[in-house]
Order: sequence, then structure tokens, then C-alpha cells
Amino acid sequence: MRRLVAASLPLGRPVDDGDAPLELVSMRNDAPRLLSATVLEGHALRTHPVPEGAGEAIAAFLDGTQRSTVVQFSGVVPIIVGVVAAVIRGRRGERLLTWRRAVVERRIYASRAQLGAAAWERLTRGAGELLCDVPFASDAEPHPFALRDAAVHAVQRHRELAEQALAHAWFDAEGGLLFVDGGISGTERMATSRRAVGVVKSHGTLYAQGAALECILGLPQGERSSVFRITSPKRTPVASWYLRLRDAAGHDPLWGLVRVECCERDVGDLSARADALSAAVLQETSPLALPDARWDRMVYGIRDCEELLRAVS
Amino acid sequence: MTATLGRVVATERRPNTPHEFHFWTALDSPVGIGTIVRVDGSEPVNGVRPTVFGVVTEGFSWTDLASPLHDVLGFDGNPGSESQRRTARTEIRLYTAAVLRHIPEEPLQPVPMGTVTLAAEDDVALALRMDGYLREGAHTGIPVGVYRAGGTDSTIWLDADFLLGPEAAHLNISGVSGLATKTSAVEWILQSIFAHFPAQKGSVAAICFNVKGPDLCFLDMPGVIDAADQHLYEQCGVPAAPFEHVQYFAPYRSDGVSLNTLRSNEALLDNVTPLTWGLREVLQYAEVLLNKDDVDAKADALIDFIKENVLDKRFTDSMLERTHSVSSFADLDAWFRDVLRALERKDDQTWRTHHVATIRKVRNRLSNISLRCKGLVADDGATSDLPWGSFEDRTVYVIDVAGLEEDAQDLIFARVVTKLREQLEKHDLGVQHMVVFVDELNKYAPGDGPDTYVRKMLLDISERGRYLGLVLFSAQQFRSQVHRRVVGNAGTALYGRMDGDELATPGYAVLSPAIRTKLATLEKGQLMVRHPHFTQPIFVRFPRPAIMRGRDGVSAYPPAQVQSFSAGVLRSLRVLDPALTLQWIEETTQLATEDEILRARNAVVRERPENVRRAFASHFRAAIAPRAADRSLTPAPLHVPPADDPYGF
Repeated sequence: MRRLVAASLPLGRPVDDGDAPLELVSMRNDAPRLLSATVLEGHALRTHPVPEGAGEAIAAFLDGTQRSTVVQFSGVVPIIVGVVAAVIRGRRGERLLTWRRAVVERRIYASRAQLGAAAWERLTRGAGELLCDVPFASDAEPHPFALRDAAVHAVQRHRELAEQALAHAWFDAEGGLLFVDGGISGTERMATSRRAVGVVKSHGTLYAQGAALECILGLPQGERSSVFRITSPKRTPVASWYLRLRDAAGHDPLWGLVRVECCERDVGDLSARADALSAAVLQETSPLALPDARWDRMVYGIRDCEELLRAVS
Repeated sequence: MTATLGRVVATERRPNTPHEFHFWTALDSPVGIGTIVRVDGSEPVNGVRPTVFGVVTEGFSWTDLASPLHDVLGFDGNPGSESQRRTARTEIRLYTAAVLRHIPEEPLQPVPMGTVTLAAEDDVALALRMDGYLREGAHTGIPVGVYRAGGTDSTIWLDADFLLGPEAAHLNISGVSGLATKTSAVEWILQSIFAHFPAQKGSVAAICFNVKGPDLCFLDMPGVIDAADQHLYEQCGVPAAPFEHVQYFAPYRSDGVSLNTLRSNEALLDNVTPLTWGLREVLQYAEVLLNKDDVDAKADALIDFIKENVLDKRFTDSMLERTHSVSSFADLDAWFRDVLRALERKDDQTWRTHHVATIRKVRNRLSNISLRCKGLVADDGATSDLPWGSFEDRTVYVIDVAGLEEDAQDLIFARVVTKLREQLEKHDLGVQHMVVFVDELNKYAPGDGPDTYVRKMLLDISERGRYLGLVLFSAQQFRSQVHRRVVGNAGTALYGRMDGDELATPGYAVLSPAIRTKLATLEKGQLMVRHPHFTQPIFVRFPRPAIMRGRDGVSAYPPAQVQSFSAGVLRSLRVLDPALTLQWIEETTQLATEDEILRARNAVVRERPENVRRAFASHFRAAIAPRAADRSLTPAPLHVPPADDPYGF
């Protein structure tokens, strides 16, 4: 990709700073926030012990990765190469095997408006369908970092699409519960499927305030919060709750805390569903996802997916 | 071709070379240390897709854990909590293989990336370069065992030209004691040689020195083998039967009547021949029994004088009281006494330039020999020996020296091997190839210690024997402690289970840690084989010999217990004439001394006459049969004096 860009835009300034992924810098800027949510289980958020042994077996794990790097500047406009990958690792016995094939897609991201018609034409001739436009107004004079962040979001969107396509294919072909790394509200089909359970490890947004927040941050190991609804203008509402995977004694309150998502409709007793899915997630806490730094919130199946994607992407 | 079981991998830190490569497999693949694999490269070189054969020398396994502590944490310190786990950690099986062969051989390149399969039977032959000597019409293969891995079951052949000469020769076996590996392996290899040695290569026989216990005492008796061993025999094309032709040789005990062997049961004596040597045979190898302190230049000169001028000749000297004809130790002692008496009479210190002290010293040392080797050395000069000049094809000759003193063992080794060499040089042995099996090489050819005659002799066979057809099969527990030139000249080396300390010596540094560990834990019936055609050691299985084990033989045929001198003589003679009785022996020998009886017995055993009674009795003075005294049973009447005889007459 780097060579292709260099050949297409020979007057550009190549960037060779050790392939530092943009995701490490650009996506940290999201400000943490607290949002209130509608409690679906009872009237107020409280803790619920997860009954032992009630877990539904997880049949497969879905995860995706992305990696974006600036390979050249054409004037002040960054040209970015993004790689997205997604995989489902299905359980066979105690082993995890790749379901069908891992998806790996590479693209070149640039702002057509900022780059100019001639440069865009040259890039199109070289990259063809691999070239993606990062929408940005042509009359604005953006900060290069803003262009970069927009590109990263475009890459993220492609990753989500890859994950969703893979999940849909899996729903069509297989049975059992799919453990999704992250939220499931991205598509209607995932958000409404009884066979998807999403587990969110990051807590930039916490769906609790006041006493509810205290309740969540004080969750003991093996207990969950009451179920609440997450809504978003562009996404399908889902049921969600917080679950403490590991004892946070001696750590920060978010240590070992995940947020679980499942479909809200047609699940019958929502409490029982939350208990069953919580137990299923808790059963995946062994083996540990070490040496990943997020091992307190990551299950081994997701680490396995990431290792595979690291090898193939 | 078998199913793909692995893929070649190489990293910058663990690259492949022309001699070594790495591959990974599934967790359940049948690959293990010693497995032969085949790599099919994907990129053609000079228009040919390269194929590489290798043998697995090391195996590695690891998971994605960065520290064992992480696993402890994962189980909360409780190993038993594994049952809660639904997912097993990702694990890798990575193997290192040493290259056996590249096809094509040139250009010699690092092993390419490619798929790895188990070597099939044809692949094994190619990998070990056996195709060169298993060709139709030029088949010189000798089966050494069967290589097994996965579904492959392949006979491994040694090249007779490299086992028995002339290209290379000699075989050395190492292994710990007590697992029956060394002796069993030699028995198996000899059976295999006898079954497969090509006729166009000539005849072959074996001389085995039984140096301990009953190991080699029942080679002609059938043993029990199981179905698996039977299958190995069939696969290797070797009859599962004991040796057809075996001859045993053993000296007498010091009593002179019972054989010094555990094969002394009367039922087995038909192929046991006493081994007795006379003065001539012993004096030729006097240096074996006399150390440098004993034999200085002056003593050596006197011994040479005796060998050249006295032994087996009519010796006359004006100083001596009579003419001597020396053919036995007794004759020699009489000659010495005469010489010393003559010096005393003349009050002189030298006789024919030999000083009296030297004469006394040599007399003392030589006389000692007959005492130290009593049973082997016959006082009468009579010899019962190996069939020099008439050794037979496919026959094993066992010389049982297990019960002998060290001196006598050395004497037997030295004389037998030297004479074998002499006769092979003259093409007068009866066979073209003679295998000599010597166990306990640690004792007879140690790497350090004094330079003994036996060690020199073993070195000589090792270095020059292959040109003559004299092949050394040797065994020892500690290869590292055997003279390097003896083991170094062995073209073929077999290793059974090895001692850990031995494996830690520098000689085994060329083996990978996994191979060394495997050697330390080898089962009975498994060997590691090194052969000139094999670029890497190969593990094989060999069947338990279809021969009665030593301890079983001793139980089934307990050694004879000699009750009396006459009973011992009877046992020796009944082999020739089963009708002889103890009473007849006692009556025939009642007037003879024990030496006379032994001389008669030796002569009969040596000559094996048709009429044993007459031949044996002819050595003794005729005894007059006892008869009743010829006198009247009535006592003579008492003399009655006349009544009127005044003087009482």
C-alpha cells in the first residue's frame, strides 16, 4: 500500500515513523461521560448475585481489529492506510478454531475534497476500489489531525461492517450463542438476535449517575447490576447491565467491570436472561487473557481472536 | 504420500539451515523424537521441487502465557479448578528435525518452506540412503530392526559391506547392564547376518566370548517370544529360531574333571568341547601373562631361547644329566631343575649367557602360569582347541571364560584372536569372515590404565581387521571409558538404554537433549542406530531373540554337580559313549594316579575314538582281577609231641 501511494503521488512526503497506529492517539480524545438509562429490572439500579452454573454455553467469539497509519502527506493532507480484520473463533471441544476465514481488508483513506481532483485521480488510477474518500468540506481548512481522526473513524466504520457481516453470516449458518467483543447495537439484526451477547470493556461512557453509579462501581465479584436499556438515535435499543468479572479490591473501581448487552425484545424473563448470560460470561474468565493488559475485562476467547488477527492482518 | 501433518516454519531467531529445520504440527499428530519426516518444498529449484527428509531431534511446546504465574492466577492457585474451564489455551507443538537427505542433493540449500508428512516406507529407504544397497541384484542389506512411527512400519537395513567389511566394519553396543539389551542385540544381529549375509560375499561365522553368567550358554535352545516379536522376525525375514549350529568351548575347573561353564548339564554336553592348551600354546603368548616387571630383556631372551631351542625338540647339553624332550610344563620344570643342578655342580653363575637368577625367575614365572590357569593349561602338553582351519559357515563358537581368572581370560583372548588373524591372513580359517564378540569392553579395552596385550589386540582388530574379514562386535556399559580408537573404528554403533551420567559426557554432546533423554528412557527392544549410510541416528525396534534366556537355561538345565573325581571323568566320557558306568571307570583307573587318569581322559576326548572303553583303558596298566586264595580251608593238624619225649620235641 505504501509503495502504491508513493508511486501514485511521487511528489508527496512519505512518513516513516515506525508505523505508529493512529488508533493509539486519535481515539483517546473521547471525553468520558455519564448518561442516565432506563432501568428495566425493578425501579432502581441495584446489585444482583449471578446464580452459579446457570450459564448458557458460548459457541463462538467475534472480534475485529483495525490499524491506521499515515503513509504520506500530499501537501498538508494525510494519506492513510487502514487495515481492518474480523474473525469468529468457534469452539470445538476445548479448542477454538477459525470459523470459515478471517476477514482482512486494506484500504487507502484520503479526503477527496482536500486532496484536489488531480491527486485524487492519480490515486484512483493506482488504488482503484481500495481508495476511500474521507468526507470533509472542501472549503474548510482543516487541521491535519482532524483529517486524520476522520480517516480513523472511516476505518472504524469499515471494521464494524466487517464484524457485522461476519456475525450475520454466522447467524445464518450456525447455532448457539455468539460472544461479541463490544456492543451489539450497530445493526438491527445483531441487536435483536437472541444469539448475540455483546461485552463492552471500555467505560468512556457510564450509564449511571449518582447512587446508581455508586452501585455499579461497588459491584462485588460475580454480581451484576439491574438491567437497563441503552438507546441511541442511530442504533437499535438493547438491554444492558454491568457485571463484575473479578474482585476489584486494591484496584480502581472499573477494574474487572464489563457491560453486557443483549436484545431486549422476545427474551421472556429479562432477569433470568441477564443471569444466564452473566453466568456464561463469567465462565469465560478462565483461562486468563494474560498477558494482555486488559485481562481483567477480557475473556480468553477474545484474546484468541486478537492473536489470530494480529498474525493475519 | 501420507497426510500433511505439519508445516515448515522459520524465523529470524530460529532459521532453517541445510542441516536442520523446524516445523509445527497439530496437537494430536503422531510425531515424536526419532520420527522420520518428509518435506515437500513448494518452489522448484532448477526445475525440480526439492524434497527433504529429516529425523525429529527436538520438540517444543508452549502456550500464549507470558509467565507461569499467569496460569496460577487463572486457577486461583488451585490446580483442581480446571473443570470450570471451557476453553483450552492456544498451544503449539514445534519440532526441530535434523536433515537426513536432500533430493536433489545439489544445490545444497536451506530447507524450504513446505508441507511436512510422515515418511512412508519408500521414503525411509530414500532418507537413510538404503536405496543404494537394497537394489535388485546388489542387495547387501542386513536387517537391524524396524522403524515405527505413525502408520509407518519400515525395516531398517545395514549395509553388509559396512558392517562386516571391507568398506567399514565392526559394531559397538552401549547400554546399561541388566536390561538384556547388549547381549540380545548381538544375538539378534548375528541371527540376522546368518539369514541375510549375501552368498556372493562368502562365508561367515562368529566367535563369542562369554565373559559373565549364562548369557550365551543356550544359543541353540529355543526361547519363548510373543506375537509382536514374531511379527518383527517375519518382517525382517529372519527365522524365529535359535542358532542352528553352535559349538561351545570351556576349560576345566581346577579339579581338572568338571567343565568351568554353566552349560555343564549332561543333556547339553554333546556340543561342548573342553578347551585345554599345552606349553607350546601358552609360551607363544607368555607376554600376556607376564607383565613388564616380570619379563625384562634378559628374561625375554631366555624365554625366546626356550621357545626356539627347547620346546618340542630333543635338547642335549654336555652339562645336563640327560637329553630333554620338553612338551609340557612338567617337562619344562624337569629341564629347569637339570639346568640349575648343573650350575650348582659347576658352581657357575651363567649358563649359555643366561644368569642363574634370570633362569630361576623365568622358571618361577612360567611354573606359576600352570597354577594360575589350571584347568586351561594341561600339564601333559595335550591340546583340545578350537577347530582351526575348519570353522564352518553360519556357526557360532562360544568360548566360555566367565568362570576363569583374569589371566586365563586374557590368555584366551590373546591367543584366539591372534590365531584368527594369522589364519585369516593365510586364508586358512575355513570361513571368509569371522565376527568376534567381546562384552565388557570397559574391562578389556579401557581408555586409560596400562597398555595390556589384550587392549593392543583389540585395537589391532579395530584398525586392521576389516581388511582380513575379522570383525569386532563389542559391547560395554560406558562407551566413554573405552579406548577411543576401538569405538571410533566401529562403523556401526548401537545404543540401548543409557545411563544419565554417561550421557552427560562430551561424547554425547552431538545429540540433542531430547535424543539424550530418549536414550535414557529407551524400552527393552529399542535401539538407536548409527551407521555410515545414515546421516543421523535412527531409533529401531528389534525382536527379543528366539533363544532361551540365560537364567531360564540354568533353571531348565542346571549345571552338573560333580560328586567325585571318577564321576567327573565319567561325565566327560559319556558324551562319547553313554554306556559307560561309574563302576567301570573306578575299576579301570583304580591303580592310576589322577594325573594319569586326566591324561587318558584328555586323549580320549581329543581323539574321539570309536571304541571309547578300549581307548581309555589302554592308557592304564592292566589290573589283575582279584581271585580267591588257593589254600585248604582245613587247618593243618597241630603237632602232638610223643608222650615219652623228655625234651618236649
